[in-house]
Amino acid sequence: MVEINNVRKINRGINRPKARIIAVAGGKGGIGKSFVSSSLSIFLANMGHKVVSIDLDLGCSNLHTSLGLAPPPKGLQDFILKPETKLTDIMHPTSFAGLSLIGGNNSIDDVTQLSIPQKSRLMSSIYHCDADYVILDLSAGTHELTLDFFLMATDKIIVTTPEPSSIENAYRFMKASFFKFIKRYEYQYQLSPVIAELMTQQKQLGIRSPNDLLKRLFKEEESISLKQQIERFKFNIILNQCRSYKDIGLGHSIKSVSQKYFGLPTEFLGHLDYDNAVWQSLRSRKHLLVEHPHSQLYTQLMQMSRKLAHTEIRRVAS
Amino acid sequence: MSYISNEQTYYELLEVSPDAPQDEIHRAYQRAKETYSPDSPALYTMFTREEALELSKLIEEAYHVLSNKSKRRDYDLQLVGHSKLSPEELSNDSQVLQDGHEPTPKPQSKLSNDVPDGHKKTRFGSYQVKPEMEDAIENTMEWDGSFLRKVRVYKNISLEQLSAETKISRTYLKAVEDNNFDKLPARVFVRGFVVQLAKALSLDENKVAKSYMNMVK
Ligand SMILES: Nc1ncnc2c1ncn2[C@@H]1O[C@H](COP(=O)(O)OP(=O)(O)OP(=O)(O)O)[C@@H](O)[C@H]1O
Ligand SMILES: [Mg+2]
Repeated sequence: MVEINNVRKINRGINRPKARIIAVAGGKGGIGKSFVSSSLSIFLANMGHKVVSIDLDLGCSNLHTSLGLAPPPKGLQDFILKPETKLTDIMHPTSFAGLSLIGGNNSIDDVTQLSIPQKSRLMSSIYHCDADYVILDLSAGTHELTLDFFLMATDKIIVTTPEPSSIENAYRFMKASFFKFIKRYEYQYQLSPVIAELMTQQKQLGIRSPNDLLKRLFKEEESISLKQQIERFKFNIILNQCRSYKDIGLGHSIKSVSQKYFGLPTEFLGHLDYDNAVWQSLRSRKHLLVEHPHSQLYTQLMQMSRKLAHTEIRRVAS
Repeated sequence: MSYISNEQTYYELLEVSPDAPQDEIHRAYQRAKETYSPDSPALYTMFTREEALELSKLIEEAYHVLSNKSKRRDYDLQLVGHSKLSPEELSNDSQVLQDGHEPTPKPQSKLSNDVPDGHKKTRFGSYQVKPEMEDAIENTMEWDGSFLRKVRVYKNISLEQLSAETKISRTYLKAVEDNNFDKLPARVFVRGFVVQLAKALSLDENKVAKSYMNMVK
């Protein structure tokens, strides 16, 4: 463990965050984003990492509930409203060794809308957060703020269930985040005229998806750093609440469709069973991983966490 | 015409690596078929029905080629020829190309039959017959790159035409003619290139390849 951390510190470039930032998004509400966030946090902490789990669902925060904990006394609203507050001031230790929680908004003050300075202060603090992993539990929908948090993450996770509306929302979120991402480079590399030119010939050039646009763009704009930055963008899919064998194939299908549509690498991190024990555990204010260590879900979540942690070892090694 | 750029290889289409064994290709095909079947729930809002059908067709095409050993070998050879693949990436089957391996059939010439007197037809056009050259072609024992070039120029064929016909990149064709073996991929591929090149030049490909390969270490 210690060795891995040391290697990472050496390899970190100037422009990399201190921790690996894992964002958990999904577009649709109630599909299990908080359940996945809490489970990954617990497992990664269990593996010996220093983990900070942040509830960024400012409108209706409940990550603490998913973790089987009471709402922390201080949360993000304190950080946002009082400029002298540091992120460490609102970090709360949990019953899981190595895991701290930053709660969302437990007051009635409305802080779902952040001013630009508020937003950049929060993002910069997250970026410099001293931990091995920072887990961002995001809200449903495609609000600017949610997209910004998603895009700042080193690991971008999309949770969906096999239901068509959930898949549709997942795709909507992926498209929104992807276009927001491209917009940034549009500005940085002054691509607007190139893109505009390409789009006037959209039909002739056969540009029908982001994949086509990117390919054309790379032809026109030979910037290697642009290519590298865009190729670093990767979606990770988790298929939650699976009830049949057929659902598992769906995870691979979503991965494939995403790759062909966006022209970007996409990973299927795995599927998670639907299990009534999830909400039954929550009712007794305990996490499933504590209540049901022999369940299939436990194994699936553990494998998923290992896969995520393993990606890093590969990254460091290469 | 297709939103899938023509640059996508069959391997990319099925999302397998070029050295994937047959069973993996089969699994990938089954999965892809399901994913792009018109009422797959994974397509919704991403690909239209027409696009899905188009993709399905391409997937069938990819599987048709990649599931057949010799078709796959030919296809691999083309990819290598076009520098879309390095020989090291290929499956073992393709790396041990056998002697006498036949590359893909070529399209028929669309040229008319009549050529001026003293001229001979090629699949690209025609050339004026010179007895001493015909003699040399008939009797030479040493088919090296410079002689191959001499024949090509004699027969009025450009590198571009040859490249279009053989599906081998000009860089590689030039390297063959320059006897520049450092620039060429592994032996087995060079043999494949020479065979195709000889055929396109209407030469006895076995004789030429055998002789040429003597020079390649
Ligand atoms: N794999 C599962 N099996 C059974 N129930 C699950 C599973 N995953 C999540 N749930 C249940 O679904 C409900 C919603 O989960 P969760 O709160 O994690 O979703 P969310 O996406 O974070 O929702 P929101 O958008 O409101 O933040 C919870 O009651 C949770 O217990
Ligand atoms: Mg939630």
